[in-house]
Amino acid sequence: MTLASGAAVQRRRNWQAIVTVALLLVVGFLVVLPMVFLVEASLNVGDPLAFPPEAYGLKNYFAIFDEDINVLWNTLVIAVMATVMAILIGFTLAWILTRTNVPGRALLERLMELPYYMTPLVGALAWAVLAGPRSGFVNQLWKGMGFSGDIADIYTHFGIAWVMALFEGTVAFVMISASMKSMDPALEESARVMGASKLRTMLTVTLPLVMPGVLGATLFVFAEMLGSFAAALVIGIPARIYVITTAIWDSTLSYPPDYGRASAMGLALFVVMFGMLTFYRHMIVGGSFATITGKAFRPRPMDMGRMAWVLFAVCCLYVFLAVILPVAALLLTSLQRFATVILSQAEFTWANYQTALSLGPVRTAMANSLMLGFGVATVGVIVMAVLVWIIYRSTLRGRGAIEYLVMFPGAVPRLVFGLALLWAWLNIPIPIYGTLWLLALAYFTVMLPLGVRTLAGVVLQIDKSLEECARVCGAGWGYQMRTVTLPLLKPGILAAWLLIFMACVRELGASVFLMGPNAKVIAPSIVSAFASSGTELTAAMALIQTFTVIVALVILFRVTRGVTRELS
Amino acid sequence: MRLLSAAATAASALVLCSASLMAPAPAHAQAKLCDKPREMDGFKTCADVDKAKAEGAFVLYSTDPEAGQVKLLAAFNKMFPEIKTSYVRLQAGALYAKILSERQAKSYLVDVVQLSDMGMILDFQRRGGFRQYVSPQMAAFKPEYKSKPEGYWTWGSIIMGGIAYNPNNVSAAEAPKKWEDLLDPKWKDAINVKVSNSGLQHGVWYMLKPILGDDYFKKFAEQKPRAFDSYVQQYGRLVDGQDKIIMGAQYSGYIEFKAKGAPLAFVFPETGVPAVPETYGIVSDGPHPNAAELFMDWFLAPVGQKALADALLLHSPRDDVPAPGVGSVPLKDMKLLFPADWNAFEKDRVEFAKSWDRIVGARR
Amino acid sequence: MSTTRIEVRDLVIRYGDTTAVNGVSFTVGRGEHVTLLGPSGCGKTTTLRSIAGLEQPVAGSITIDGQAMYDAKARRNVPAEQRGVSMVFQSYAVWPHMTVFDNVAYGLRVRRQGAAEIKAAVERALDLVQMRHLADRPASKLSGGQQQRVALARAVAFSPTVVLFDEPLSNLDAKLRAEMRVELRELQRRLDITSVYVTHDQEEALAISDRVIVMNVGVIEQIGTPEQIYNRPRSRFVADFVGSANLVKGRYAGDGRFETEGGVALQAVAGHAPHGGETEVAIRTAYIDLEPRAGENQVPGTVRQRLFHGDFVQYVIDSPLGALIVRRPPVDLLDEGAAVTLSFSAEHCVLLER
Repeated sequence: MTLASGAAVQRRRNWQAIVTVALLLVVGFLVVLPMVFLVEASLNVGDPLAFPPEAYGLKNYFAIFDEDINVLWNTLVIAVMATVMAILIGFTLAWILTRTNVPGRALLERLMELPYYMTPLVGALAWAVLAGPRSGFVNQLWKGMGFSGDIADIYTHFGIAWVMALFEGTVAFVMISASMKSMDPALEESARVMGASKLRTMLTVTLPLVMPGVLGATLFVFAEMLGSFAAALVIGIPARIYVITTAIWDSTLSYPPDYGRASAMGLALFVVMFGMLTFYRHMIVGGSFATITGKAFRPRPMDMGRMAWVLFAVCCLYVFLAVILPVAALLLTSLQRFATVILSQAEFTWANYQTALSLGPVRTAMANSLMLGFGVATVGVIVMAVLVWIIYRSTLRGRGAIEYLVMFPGAVPRLVFGLALLWAWLNIPIPIYGTLWLLALAYFTVMLPLGVRTLAGVVLQIDKSLEECARVCGAGWGYQMRTVTLPLLKPGILAAWLLIFMACVRELGASVFLMGPNAKVIAPSIVSAFASSGTELTAAMALIQTFTVIVALVILFRVTRGVTRELS
Repeated sequence: MRLLSAAATAASALVLCSASLMAPAPAHAQAKLCDKPREMDGFKTCADVDKAKAEGAFVLYSTDPEAGQVKLLAAFNKMFPEIKTSYVRLQAGALYAKILSERQAKSYLVDVVQLSDMGMILDFQRRGGFRQYVSPQMAAFKPEYKSKPEGYWTWGSIIMGGIAYNPNNVSAAEAPKKWEDLLDPKWKDAINVKVSNSGLQHGVWYMLKPILGDDYFKKFAEQKPRAFDSYVQQYGRLVDGQDKIIMGAQYSGYIEFKAKGAPLAFVFPETGVPAVPETYGIVSDGPHPNAAELFMDWFLAPVGQKALADALLLHSPRDDVPAPGVGSVPLKDMKLLFPADWNAFEKDRVEFAKSWDRIVGARR
Repeated sequence: MSTTRIEVRDLVIRYGDTTAVNGVSFTVGRGEHVTLLGPSGCGKTTTLRSIAGLEQPVAGSITIDGQAMYDAKARRNVPAEQRGVSMVFQSYAVWPHMTVFDNVAYGLRVRRQGAAEIKAAVERALDLVQMRHLADRPASKLSGGQQQRVALARAVAFSPTVVLFDEPLSNLDAKLRAEMRVELRELQRRLDITSVYVTHDQEEALAISDRVIVMNVGVIEQIGTPEQIYNRPRSRFVADFVGSANLVKGRYAGDGRFETEGGVALQAVAGHAPHGGETEVAIRTAYIDLEPRAGENQVPGTVRQRLFHGDFVQYVIDSPLGALIVRRPPVDLLDEGAAVTLSFSAEHCVLLER
């Protein structure tokens, strides 16, 4: 048997230390440096374009409360409304699908994933078309039925909140149903055995037990709503309702660009979000970044009798409002010359699709997005798999710090991070600004939390002894990773790859600042098209994007299904 | 923190370098028209056509709607298939902010820039952002339509802002005929305008304020107008009835939509229509200098100007190019209100932006 | 010292604020089967894992075959993959993404053996555990017992000299456990493996070990052969944990004389120089007879309770020594309330050290 010499032991310790320091530097550079630049920019009270700042001061921060107080108010009001609605939607759906005997449960659970493919941007566009005053489809129908005035006006605080809630509802649904699934059904059963009615059981047993999970979801969703951008952009600006994210965006897109003010607002938003997410992590998840799926119970569903069909309809209503109606509206709009729902007046044409497809930038942007998604996902999962192993399975001393750094971008609103990257890379003398490389770097950094969280969930489920046994059998770290760890991680790696790919293709907040003439990506392209093209053309572009993404995913699912099947 | 100071040091060096770049162009010998311009199909050029083709690409930054830019660039590309074109579209303020930021980052991505605000043009010239190139076409432009000395920037088109409405929603009787008519309370919440980033909107404000008085815009604010980034959105909302009136409506947009069959009417108030140019210039340190020169020669020639008229329905400053579209009013028949002093116009921008944002309820 | 395979000296292992192993020392000779026995949390698994190199001690030393694997003073800690020991895990740790063959061959492949040698060694190992016919089955499709055998085959396939066992039978049902116990012992003898075995099941420990090391809260209570542990427990813990015993308080007057709290005089055996003062004697329940016997301690009593356990019957007897538990073969059952005379020899009345 090979026995080690002292030198080998020493070499191993040094190697581990080198790897830790190197990782900390790289991740720190990617994640923290842009934020440092942002902080410096926010303290700039002299010439906004100067770097380094000529004068430092807190004027930008004070100005937020002075001139932009209504922006703060709007942000708060809309976020609160959206959160309440999203949680209601998520809770109702979660309860229906995990605790009742609603028919077609498997099908409904698959349908619940659909809104995720509708990006908030596309959803906002669709609802603008549906519920704009006077010209929205819903209002046209209302008028056609003989009523006067509008039944719905999307260009209000409530309208913005509605669109945000509709699409964030699936996130709330996933989180709350996870917490419902982890509840021991025996707790409810003992209440029923004692004679409590279904309603009483739900109010006195189920609800209190699920509360922590619901509160956690509320906190998380609220933090996301604060940083939400797409709906506020498409619906808020025409309504003259500015929230922090659109105010930041607006600051940088006027002449002279007020980077100082934008940075101050961005950092203020970041601090609030960061505080909430830290609170969430410590209070609810117990300090762990990885959502470990514990033992999942098989809750016995409550028999709802005839009500079950009503509940089925409720679920279908959600899918209808979040997916079917918007897509139908966009489809109708994109096929007309001037959008109207009164089919007798409609002039149908393919011209919008012809223009959209012939717009070189649209094709290039779509191709860029797909390419970036593919590249970042592929390189990303490998790097993240190694990171995850180091954080959760190794004994390196700096791994707590690495975990923290890696999760950091999740607390920064994408838009703010994009701004930080813009400002940082405008002033770092390496000319990658305006190229796809900067976008790739940005995507990789903002996807770190997503990938690491997904992979961590899988890694933590691998029994430690499987790896220890390999080591005891004599396998070095590399051999063990290759023959035991990575093969067992395969399903997780695939899941993470798909998630990252999708997120890259839909990415808006960070990309909107970093595009150049030869580095266009699809979501911001749709946004700029929205400004300078008609609704009809924009609708066509949005549908082309959605369709392309779905086709790409279907292909990927086919390809990976073979791989996952052999593992089960 | 060590990283920060290292980056800061590097960046300070960068700022010092760029500061020298941004300094006013030293007075070297003025560029002159070349001796033997080459005759291309429909225009003369001083550019090295072979070098331009070898460069193989051309980048335009412009405030015009994307669909129109694509058409214009496609016409150029049809004549020179070897030169691939790309563009960025943003409203004037945003576009200018972007260019300045890029140059600060030493990122030279654009060959030719079009801005619809003369103030920004003058500012850019002062910063040495334009490269002087004397095109044989510039002789056809009046002296007030180009830079002095010529070759830094030239007016590529002239846009003017009037009043537009949808006759299906607004009867001929109640339709506004003068600028003052827009203050009628019945138009509250029914008017749309452009955002403060827009050069044309700046022109409208700058020219009408002295004529109609300071009070006009104070009262106009009470109408709660909505601001949009592009005339495409503005006219779209007239067509579907979300708004009733456009104040400072871009005439080229009206022609474009009318040609598509939209129900629209345009009013040239007797007071006159404020007008601003869309100004083009070759950017210094651009990535494809020869292609840029070739483009300018093509663009400023009647062949390019006609392509512009076809793509964007814009009026050419050239006398030998007919008005765009069918049945539209030519320049000579309009009462155009141009700012007399572009420098004063430039200085007015900051105040305009602040006031206009307040009027349209933007964040400031 | 060439007969000593493993030497553990003054080992200390800490987890944060708790000390899991607090100064443990023992040796394991060649071909010996030594068991670490104790309740959960006593540090036995931690000690075993540190021999394998899977734990980081803070003090002490571990030597295998004369080579220092861990030495706190010399700041030396050989990584697990270079120690050359083998291990069977409690959860078996059979890799689900490989076949049985690949699982067993893993250690050989790491050592870069030739394909023919690997095949021969794997087949030999599988034969030992009667799993040869399942060589090509994916490991995810095995039952618990089958996984256990594969883990065992894998552990011995590359002919290690030391094998560590971490409660390998605790996940099996009682009957299977009893069978596997014997097979394990056979295997170990046949291959002449030095083994360190961890279990909380004292029956198992006594049945198959050459020596037993009883541990409690991070320290060693007693080391000895199974007979020594059973017949001569040195501490209350060992007496109570291994087998079942009655503990009676009293004073030791020297020379084998023990006076209980209740004033009964007993003849006891003491393996050490006793201190005067409060001590206890342990009397194994199996060693108490219900018939008077000459030359032995005799105590009168009344049957309070009788529980039939199948292989034995357990009585609770009220006596001047307190309530005593007695286990007898399941014949001639006594009724509750019957009067008996308990007798046990001095040999079976052991004075405890602590």
